[in-house]
Amino acid sequence: MDVVATVNGERYERDVEPRKLLIHFLRDDLDLTGSHVGCDTGNCGACSVIVDGVLVKSCMMLAVQADGSTIETVEGLAQDGELNGLQQSFSSHHALQCGYCTPGMLMSATALLRQNPHPSEEEIRKGIQGNICRCTGYVNIVEAIKAAAE
Amino acid sequence: MTETTVTPERPLVVEEGETRPGFIGQNIPRKEDKRLVQGEGVFFDDMKRHEMGFVHFVRSPYAHARIKSVDVSKALELDGVYGTLTGDEVAILTDPFFELSTPPGANIKDYALAVGKVRHVGDPVAAVVARTRELARDAAELVEVDYEPLPVVLDGEQALADEVVLHDDAGSNTVWSGTFDWGDFDAALADADHVIRIERLHFDRFSSTPLECAGCLVEFNRGTGQWTIYGNHQMPGVGAIWMAPALRVGLDKLRFVSQDIGGGFGNKITLHPQFTACCLLARKLNRPVQWTEWRTDQHTANTHGNERTFLDITVPVKADGTMLGFSVRAIDDCGAFPRYEPLGCIIWAQVTPGCYRWRNVRVDFTQVCTNKSPVAPNRGYSRMQHLWLTERIVDIVAGELGLDPVDVRKKNYVKQEEFPYTTPNGCVYDSGDYARCLDVALDLIGYDSIEEKRRDAESRGKLLGVGIGSTLDSGTNNFGQSMLLNPELQFSGNNEVATVKLDIFGEVVVTLGTVPQGQGHETTTSQVVADILGCTPDEINVRAGHDSYWNSHAGFSGTYASQFAVTGLGAVKGAADKLAGEMKQLAAAVFGVTPDDIELAESQARMKGNPEAALPFMALGAILNANNAGLPEDMDISLNVRHVYRPPFEKPDLERKYGNLTLTYASQFHACVVEVDPETGVYDIVDYAAVDDCGDRIHPQIVEGQVHGATAQALGAATHEIFTYDEEGNLLTPNFYDYHVPHALDMPPLKTGYVESTSPFTPLGAKGMGEGGGAGIHAVCAALQNALGRRGEGPIVWRSCNPYHRVWEMLEQPEASRRLVSVESR
Amino acid sequence: MLLREVEYARPASVQEAVRLLAENDGARVLAGGQTLINVMKARAASPDMLVDLNGLDELKGIDLAADGTLSLGSMVTYSELIASAEARARPIVGDVCAQIADVQVRNRGTIGGNVCSNDPTNHLPPLMVALGATMHITGPNGDRTVPAEEFFLGVYMTAAGVGELLTRITVPPGKSDGFAAITIGRDGTCIVNAAASVNGGVRIALGCVDAVPVLLRADSPDAVGAAVENANLDPPSDVHASGEYRRHLAEVVARRATAEAEGKS
Repeated sequence: MDVVATVNGERYERDVEPRKLLIHFLRDDLDLTGSHVGCDTGNCGACSVIVDGVLVKSCMMLAVQADGSTIETVEGLAQDGELNGLQQSFSSHHALQCGYCTPGMLMSATALLRQNPHPSEEEIRKGIQGNICRCTGYVNIVEAIKAAAE
Repeated sequence: MTETTVTPERPLVVEEGETRPGFIGQNIPRKEDKRLVQGEGVFFDDMKRHEMGFVHFVRSPYAHARIKSVDVSKALELDGVYGTLTGDEVAILTDPFFELSTPPGANIKDYALAVGKVRHVGDPVAAVVARTRELARDAAELVEVDYEPLPVVLDGEQALADEVVLHDDAGSNTVWSGTFDWGDFDAALADADHVIRIERLHFDRFSSTPLECAGCLVEFNRGTGQWTIYGNHQMPGVGAIWMAPALRVGLDKLRFVSQDIGGGFGNKITLHPQFTACCLLARKLNRPVQWTEWRTDQHTANTHGNERTFLDITVPVKADGTMLGFSVRAIDDCGAFPRYEPLGCIIWAQVTPGCYRWRNVRVDFTQVCTNKSPVAPNRGYSRMQHLWLTERIVDIVAGELGLDPVDVRKKNYVKQEEFPYTTPNGCVYDSGDYARCLDVALDLIGYDSIEEKRRDAESRGKLLGVGIGSTLDSGTNNFGQSMLLNPELQFSGNNEVATVKLDIFGEVVVTLGTVPQGQGHETTTSQVVADILGCTPDEINVRAGHDSYWNSHAGFSGTYASQFAVTGLGAVKGAADKLAGEMKQLAAAVFGVTPDDIELAESQARMKGNPEAALPFMALGAILNANNAGLPEDMDISLNVRHVYRPPFEKPDLERKYGNLTLTYASQFHACVVEVDPETGVYDIVDYAAVDDCGDRIHPQIVEGQVHGATAQALGAATHEIFTYDEEGNLLTPNFYDYHVPHALDMPPLKTGYVESTSPFTPLGAKGMGEGGGAGIHAVCAALQNALGRRGEGPIVWRSCNPYHRVWEMLEQPEASRRLVSVESR
Repeated sequence: MLLREVEYARPASVQEAVRLLAENDGARVLAGGQTLINVMKARAASPDMLVDLNGLDELKGIDLAADGTLSLGSMVTYSELIASAEARARPIVGDVCAQIADVQVRNRGTIGGNVCSNDPTNHLPPLMVALGATMHITGPNGDRTVPAEEFFLGVYMTAAGVGELLTRITVPPGKSDGFAAITIGRDGTCIVNAAASVNGGVRIALGCVDAVPVLLRADSPDAVGAAVENANLDPPSDVHASGEYRRHLAEVVARRATAEAEGKS
């Protein structure tokens, strides 16, 4: 089936099988490999992207469902090679180690801060509860989001 | 020199580009971050090759069965399928992987695919390659395997009986067994005022489950007979030692490449079977093949941490609370194949008496195979299980004798003035101040007012418990310990490599032998090199990842066993020192002075006392590499130096099983406060502190990050993470839905503190670290026990993982575990 | 991760969706997909066709009638419901939705999908039973309604039969509701849950203790414990809890949900 989507401002058109997951469309067909796969049950959130303004796990959506949509992924956060405030904060607070969960984590944090520019610690933790990190214990991720919100 | 630091609320950050002398010890921005926060890291699954095929493994639905036939014909008929591989082919094309054990374990035949039998659910039976990932799985469903199911054995103790035997060639489920007897345990027993006996303790199966699963992209070059493996093996040097002989080729026919790896925690050390299958497929089909493991595969059939049962624990104690040692019978369950095992049968001996001055230890250790997933050296490998035993011993003894858990620890800890301290089995604890670290941890949780908090919790209907976990993170292995298992093994010592060069335009390029998975090697390397060469970390280009073609690795290269700060940075320091010497030599020749007259500072080689006479790095690089006419003929420099760091080790005394097995001993002291809801067994960790002493810290923020992460993994393992099987050997927790790892809401706020006891044995005074998080398991178990009962009554926390239902069962039936413990007082 | 082949249809109306379901035996409704797509990844289910209800405005919308009845479109997502001012008329509905999974799942998962999948660990089946909700179903033979307590037939089975789909859920007016659950960790798999509604007597619906929510009635909040005990529950054992533990917890959460309904927690 034909899928047309605008990802990070760029229009893409591809013919895909209906069974293809959005994450595989992004990674394999569009070569946007920043979003990752960390589980096969929709728990880990490494594949989180924003579709038409809504944060979703792209492993629980078919690519054909994204036809006509506008998608934001981690690759779209920095502008002209300059890290945005959230990315910078993740780095300065050592909120990432292996960096595998980071793209999904950044998208969840992005969605959270759009909706709630000054979240409490509990709200931050709820905002990233669907993103598993196995390296950091979340301590510095929470700090980084807090700092980026200030 | 010992210094206490309690972490400030905000991490100390140096702005990018800022320069100041002495980068070691500072929190410079991580070099790795810029690409990773933009999704520009390169993980193996991000790579593509023209016409590559996707691999899908056909996996066993049985825990134990004979393979009567495998028919791939229907799969091959499917349009888009490139080819298949079966166990029969593997048995012809390869030799079994090398086994580390003596018989019976030595006789086990382990291949890339199951040959003749399957031995655990998920055991790969065949592989299919197809044009798309989905198609490969479709085809795998068409492979017809006829199985004859066999009885299963899932319990380590039952496996000992050999009624069901996994490996017919071995003839027994026992992989390895041996006894260790240090000091004089019988005399200690005779000398004791109290003898505490614990019938059974059990360390549950879990895994740190790196978020990126395993996988590789393999290309075969027909012209040279060489494979390139773009994968996430975290110890490729050792991987090659397994794979090359099995594939009947030389080591150099296997090129391992990785850039970014999404966590390893030891679970990516034993990928040689799957990688070998991919090598065979790439050669057979003459096309690049790519294998991505999915989460369910990782949980069911890649690796778990070692499961261990401790039986008949006997602890002689003096009236004043001094413990004289212990004896135990340990049964370690390594699952269906030993692979990296039986090394776990000796690794624990690095920390034989834990943090304690115990001089009499007797251990009867046996490792067995069961019809469960194989194990791998999961973070804290083998020491975690053993230290959980020592900590459980301390708290159970304290509980039974009415001793204070803090006092009894301090009484039995190795004392600060006793370092370097030689353990009964010849290990040398390099430095530390255990009692002080414990005080810092207790301060952080407000231990002085704990009884007040207990009353407050009781007023809210909750049971409060406080617990301590003290552990050692032994780093930098002496591989000679393998000879204690198998004297025939030709492994001892350790090594790591770094290459530092000054390139033609003055660029400093560093190549490591390690295989980082998030530990910040590029960053800490740049700190060390910058300090030695007198420039900034920004000017140091550390190549990302690992590539065998860089020729910057040695036999034990890899990222494992808490050793980068010692071996990795030891190699970096050695290479940078040599390069600095060569740069001074070159500058001296240019200025017509001696190298002693030259200093490296501000990214220049300049004459001491005359900073005007200076050569920028670019000039040095250009002169040697491109403009070298007229240089002295006898000047033997390359500005491209490779250094192998080799820690000072002796071979152990095999007769006495005695010797120094690791170079450094970072120490961890965790304190935990839990509140238990007595009605449901549900509990929360309401306060938590982790104090780490890893000697001089190169990058405190990275150290703290390791402490956070290791602690989170331990808290997961203590509360919910457990690999549970049903009676037929099906894993009941094969995904993140049923295997609950900590989410952001689950994690308590972590307080951290530091003590820095410089290691006298290492190039930078640092100790390796990162694996000490096991303290969290001990602390939670102790806190639960404290919450659930008082002296001589209440349940005994006898398992390492205590989900709510176990806590409720302990509350309901305290006698069930209480009877595991007895006290004989004289 | 890799689904079997499947056809995909995006009907323009509920009527067309019903027709597609009727014409294709192996067709299944795709609502939020937060359960179904996972089941398909495991290849535990592989429908021939997915009939995607996303985009059908008829199945959206949250309306509050003058009498206080709340009407919820089956394709309303948890997040929409949580944010809805109308839905605050029966606050428990939004409060429970806020406890489901995580942000991403709440953004796509729908209330219709939750009840129609009838996974025994889901929160909404017992809640709808306790609240006395009504399920509105459409199909080739027209529209019909089913009380929530008759809607759930078995594990993954509901009264919305082959070729039918759930269009709306109506919740009668009320205020005094409570909900309690024991989950693995703060937000993991549910072990036992209970919803309670106090209106003179108490309606309690227990989840995870049987294939379908178990509805109990007590004359007064004080009688809830006894009502659970007298129900002779025989909950299943699994990796997270024994049947015995579940039976014990059922009584605890029933009491806690009731206390919340009374404003006591």
